[in-house]
Parts: sequence; C-alpha cells; structure tokens
Amino acid sequence: MSALNAIADDTAPPLRIKRKSPWWKSTWFDVVQFVLLSGLLMWITWRGATSMEYRWQWYRLPRYFWRVIDGELIWGPLINGLFVTLEIAAWGMVLTLLIGLITAILRFSDSIAARILARIYLETIRNTPLLVQISIFYFVLQPILGINNPLWTGILCLAFYEGAFASEIIRAGINSVPKGQFEASTSVGLGGVKTYIYVVLPQAVRLMLPPLTGILVNLVKHSAILSFVAVFELTTEARNLIGDTFMSFEVWFVVGPMYLVITITLSSFVSWLERRVGRSR
Amino acid sequence: MAAMVRKKRRLHALDFIVLAAVAGLVGYVAYRVDTVLIYKWDWSAIPSYLFRWDDETATLVPNLLIKGLVTTIRISIWAMVVASIMGVVLGMARTSNRLFFRLVSWAYVGLIRNIPPVPFLFLFYFFISSQIMPLLGIDAAIRNASPETLAIAEVFFGPANLMSNFVSGLISLSMLSAAYIAEIVRAGIQAVPAGQREAGQTVGLSRFSIMRYIILPQAIERVVPPLAGQFISLIKDSSLVALISIQELTFLAMEIAISEQRFFEVWIFTGFMYFVVCYACALAFGWLEQRMGAHRR
Repeated sequence: MSALNAIADDTAPPLRIKRKSPWWKSTWFDVVQFVLLSGLLMWITWRGATSMEYRWQWYRLPRYFWRVIDGELIWGPLINGLFVTLEIAAWGMVLTLLIGLITAILRFSDSIAARILARIYLETIRNTPLLVQISIFYFVLQPILGINNPLWTGILCLAFYEGAFASEIIRAGINSVPKGQFEASTSVGLGGVKTYIYVVLPQAVRLMLPPLTGILVNLVKHSAILSFVAVFELTTEARNLIGDTFMSFEVWFVVGPMYLVITITLSSFVSWLERRVGRSR
Repeated sequence: MAAMVRKKRRLHALDFIVLAAVAGLVGYVAYRVDTVLIYKWDWSAIPSYLFRWDDETATLVPNLLIKGLVTTIRISIWAMVVASIMGVVLGMARTSNRLFFRLVSWAYVGLIRNIPPVPFLFLFYFFISSQIMPLLGIDAAIRNASPETLAIAEVFFGPANLMSNFVSGLISLSMLSAAYIAEIVRAGIQAVPAGQREAGQTVGLSRFSIMRYIILPQAIERVVPPLAGQFISLIKDSSLVALISIQELTFLAMEIAISEQRFFEVWIFTGFMYFVVCYACALAFGWLEQRMGAHRR
C-alpha cells in the first residue's frame, strides 16, 4: 500500500500553489531595466555635456596617469595624488588610533581633569564641521605650532577628527568585555595594566577591529576635503588638472572610480573581518 | 576597600599630568603667538561683521556672519526636508520586493557613500547650475514675481539675487544627504519584525496599506533619533557647499578672513558659531528624546 502511495506521489502532477510569475516580474528583467536606466543616465550626461559644447577628450587622459620617457616610467599627477591620499590615510590611521586610545584612557580614568579634557575634545570635534576644523588647523595652528608641511597639518587634523570616533569605538569595545573578566583577573592578582594587556584588550580588539577599519575608509573619503588647503592629494590634483585642461567630466569620472576602488576594497575587508569575528564567537 | 580609599582622594597623579600638559600647551601657544609670530590678537572686527549700523534706517542690521549663519540654518532645514523625502523613497526601494528598485537604490547609496563628497559636489553643481536650474526657471520666476511674493520667498530662500545659488547648493546637499537618510530608513523598516507584515497580509491588507498603516508608523518611531543626529551632521556638512561658492557661513568666513587678514580670529569665531548651533541642537534633541522615551515607558 505504501509502495503504491509512493508511486502515486511520484507520478502525480506537482501541486502548483504558486503561479508562474510573468516575464516582467523575473529577475533578469529587473537587471535589464537597471542596465537600461544606467545607460539612460549616461546618455543624459553625455547629451547634457554635448549640448554645452563640451568636447570629450578621453584620449588626453592616460598621460596624466603615467608616461614612459626614454624607457623610464614617470608617474603622472593622478597616481601621485593617489599615493598622497593613501599616505594620508596610513599615517592618519596610526595617529587616529593613538589619539583614540589616549582619549579612551582619559575617559575611563578616575581623574576629573582628564575626563573634562576628553569631554571638551569630543564635543568640539563632534559639533564643528570638518572644513572649519581644517581651516583652523591650517590658518591658525599651523603657523602657531610652526608646522612647515601642510600635509602634516592635514594628517593631524584628520587624525584629531577621526580620533573622536575611534575613542568611542575603543570605549564601546572595552565596555563590552563582561565585568567578571576584570574581577577574575584581579582575583588572580593581575594589576591594572596587566589586566588590560592580557585579559581585556585581547577580547575587546576583536570587536573593535571592523569599525576601526571603517574609520580607515572614512580617512580616505575625508582626505578629499584637504583639497581646500594646499595638500596635494588626489582631489587637489584632479582640480588642478581640470584647471589646466578643462576636462572636468573626464577627470571626475576617473577620480570617482579611483576612490570607489579603494573604499570598496576596504569595505569588503571590513565585512570579511566582521564575518570572521562573528564565526569565532 | 581600596576603591573607597581611591574615591576619597580628590586629585590623582593623572589630574596633575593633564593639567600640566594643558598648561604647557597653552603656554607654548602663547609664547609662539606673542614672541615668535609677534601677533596681536584683535577681536574688534568680529562684532561689526555680526551686526552693523545702517544709516538709512538707523537700526542695527545683521551683517555677513549672521547672514551666513542664517543661510546655513536655512539650507540645512530645506536640505533635511528634501533629503528626507528622497531618503524615505530610497529606503523603501531598498527593502522593496522588486530587484529593480533594490538595485537602483543600492547603486545610488553605494556610490554616494563610497566616493568623497567633494567630487560629487563639483559634478552636481556643474550639472544643476547648467542643466537643471534653467529647467526649473527660478531666475525667470524671480524676475517676473511681484514684490509681495518675492518678500515671502525671501523669508524662505534668502535674498533674491542669491536664490538660484542657494537652490543649487540645496539640491547638491540634499542629494548627498539622501543616501545617508536612506540607510537610516532602511534600518528602521527592517527593524520592524516580519510578523507585523505577515499579520497585515493575514487580515488581507494590500501591500500599500501594510506599508502605510503597519510598517511605516513603527519604523518612523525608530528612525526619529538617528534622523535628529543626521540633521546635526547636515548643519556641519552644509559647510562643504562653500567649495561650490554657496554663500553660507564658511564661505563668508573665508572671504572675511581674507579681506581683513584676520585668519586666527575669524576662523576660531566661526568654529565657535557652529559649535553653539550644533551643541544647542544636540542638547535639544537629547532632551526631546528623553521625554519621548519617558512617555513610552
């Protein structure tokens, strides 16, 4: 009997609860629509530029990446700018971590003066625009402190800006370590510093890593604002190039994707980290 | 026991280190300004840029810095309105059933969030001022407007001669901010439990009614606090439109600093103005949030 049932089940037409969705509801149609829309936007851009008598000169662009003269490779302004941007992000990250760590320590301390100082720093950074901060660093602090390279003024300013966010991340990471861990390490006789180094930080760092890498993405993005002062990073080089060649569209359409490649690479690194951290817990 | 002893002592070694460090820094700055740069602080120009005496009407009228601040606040409020509308549409598209809407919203949000705002501002401004502004016909509308309409419009959008400048800055800023609001809205919609949607389907509501009467009211409640934070960010980000010559606080501060050759005073004071506005907003929103939270509990 059961064998008969099995045959009947096999041969019976499958129950169609769901109607077959029409072609205009299928995935590929959505993708085609999306591609068409992107194409339409590009066409509008192209038409708009052409109607302003804009001359497209893509062929002039490659030489601003690199040139080979007498078999020698010479980087153009766009690649040089990219290197400066990466340099800003790298040094900025080191200083950001330092400032964030110091601020977090000050906020956790018993000292009133330290907590007030940290609070003033955080509120100042949070409640003023980055552009104004950069102006203050460049026009006020640079001459006062006698920094003679605007690049370092820019890195310092970005580090102070991102340091406020880094300190929040570090604080949250340390707060997420259960109180029992502190008590346990005290009860086995570890001191304050050793508790942090051997017990708390190894647990907190895993949680802090993904958002801290997010700060690296922000450093790359915010470094573009440094074009406001004389720092020769990617956006500044792009603006100078436009000033020289009037190829605004070509240059921005190339510089945008350059940033996109860096930030998306870093972002996917973040989500990879997040997945790894999530799995190990 | 140890903790108690620690609490009794009022000042710590760290207090002295911090105070000494701050004092040292202040002293060094004062030494550099006074002795090395031989700079004389002169704040006397600032008040005249806040308000000036108008001989014709014999009253105090706001001068550049206050005008800039008003433009900043005006552009932030309008950008918040426009960006919220765009953001809600994009955020809903992000959670839509149709892949097409998800793709469009994903591409827009991804592009804006992963490329620095500066290149976008230049591109947007270029397009908006050359293509969209003639299409909107704002300049023509201003020319043909009656004095009464113009007076009303000036309250909302600022002086007539700068109106198209203002609107193009406003559109650029809204397009940037919409991407961030879209993410907030998406998070709010996704935070509504799936059971709510299913319950709506069970009682036979249409998809629109489910969105309108079940999902959005709950999502909005979750979305309001981060949106308030976004408004403060918007006030700060509005300084970016100074790069495309929109005449708001940062742009005017830049001009005053150059014409007066008083970079120290003008920039520090501008930072202070932003701080007062943003900090006041932060305090007000914090207070409101507490009150709303109290009523819910």
